[in-house]
Amino acid sequence: MPESSEATITLVGDLHARPAGALAVAAGQFTSTVQVSVSGGGSGGGQADAKSVLAVMQLGASSGQQVTVRAVGPDADKAVETLVGILAGVSKAGD
Amino acid sequence: MAARVGIVLVSHSASLAEGTAELAGQVGGGTVTIATAGGTDDGRLGTSIDKVAAAIRLADGGAGVVILPDLGSSVLTVRTLLADDRDDLPGPLEVADAPFVEGAVAAVVTAAAGGSLQAVLDAAQEARNARKL
Repeated sequence: MPESSEATITLVGDLHARPAGALAVAAGQFTSTVQVSVSGGGSGGGQADAKSVLAVMQLGASSGQQVTVRAVGPDADKAVETLVGILAGVSKAGD
Repeated sequence: MAARVGIVLVSHSASLAEGTAELAGQVGGGTVTIATAGGTDDGRLGTSIDKVAAAIRLADGGAGVVILPDLGSSVLTVRTLLADDRDDLPGPLEVADAPFVEGAVAAVVTAAAGGSLQAVLDAAQEARNARKL
């Protein structure tokens, strides 16, 4: 049974192109499959492969929404920790 | 850090190629070499086989290069160059059948993550399925 991990964070800024890129670049370094899903408030919703920058951008995740990161695989814990760290760094200013 | 796959953007317009490279470079975090071949040798709209060859050499970091042409004769120029099988070009080289902006962004992000030549090519080509709305 593969390792799995999950964590949820509330965004304080919008998930624009650059943070989406940072998220996908980081996710791509892990062996685990990683999904991000969005719920609560604002526009957008659904889930995306965290390794696909275009899919992450298409989520349209915005300030105040909850983003859940789920990983399954040998480095799932580290993947979730890293990606939640990036999401926590998304600033109000955005870009 | 292992060598990254390089990216070449071929456009009829130098400013379109450079702007796309700027955007993709920012989204990808700046660790991937993106070379552009935009416009003709005398600066008009069009494509230049010599510019494409120079861009491929610039983009090569030892892990291969994915080339994204924009439209029509950009594709023809790239295919003509590769069909010549020139020994002054590094390899391996792949041409992506992909939307220009989305494909460039997806390719650069995947290359930045350390993706293989095939993974970078696939990311670019899967970009045609990405919805905006």
